[in-house]
Amino acid sequence: MFDQIEMMRMARAMGLHVQQRHVEVARNIANADTPGYRATDLQDFAQTYRRDDGSGPLKVSHPRHLASPDWSPAEARVIQVAGPVSPNGNSVSLEEEMVRAAEVKRHHDLSLAVYRSGLDLMRASLGRR
Amino acid sequence: MTDPISPLRMAASGMRAQTERLRHTAENIANADTPGYRRKMVTFEEAVRFGRPTGEVAAGRMRLDQTVLPRIHDPAHPMADPDGYYDGSNVDLVIELADSREAGRSYEANLRMFEQTRQMGASLLDLLRR
Repeated sequence: MFDQIEMMRMARAMGLHVQQRHVEVARNIANADTPGYRATDLQDFAQTYRRDDGSGPLKVSHPRHLASPDWSPAEARVIQVAGPVSPNGNSVSLEEEMVRAAEVKRHHDLSLAVYRSGLDLMRASLGRR
Repeated sequence: MTDPISPLRMAASGMRAQTERLRHTAENIANADTPGYRRKMVTFEEAVRFGRPTGEVAAGRMRLDQTVLPRIHDPAHPMADPDGYYDGSNVDLVIELADSREAGRSYEANLRMFEQTRQMGASLLDLLRR
């Protein structure tokens, strides 16, 4: 039961990450012809969540206490995209941004599908259809 | 939490800016044979609101191309000077065509982004069904 909540938490974190990345892609495409604009992207989702921040898990003093999750979503870092820069100082490549937009869509669909299946599982465990 | 509307606004600003550029290109092509006409150009810049860049794009001020106008020899032309020359326009049709192609391509990219943002929003709201 709580594993499923954990799973949904991760799906939600992924959805949030993908939404931020979507904003970056939209900004890059809008500024595809702005002189001096440098393309930006977000760090990969797999690298953004902290597995262990060194403080260790919360102590459990009773068997019915919930264990703390061993990961937590961190703030996504904005990174500069390496690539050729055109003479007016713009480094946006529309083709690459299209690929990134497709990736964003795919990850968004994935996070929603996981979230929805979590909802369905919880609904089934409650005995409803 | 990021604003789910902001990608829509960015794509719309991109489309608006590219339309502006396309409009100037059309004016240039229409006036390619107007004597004394100088080519119009716009540059894009990042829109700033309340002193902070919003990520949206805006077309900057229109500027005129300051390259020298070609001297055309045609003594029969009503605007010809005593030597039989008059100023042509400095519009280069090849450049204008390439510019309009590029503007159209960028416009489509923004349109695709707009569509995708709408789709993502719709599938997110779909979670609320049932």
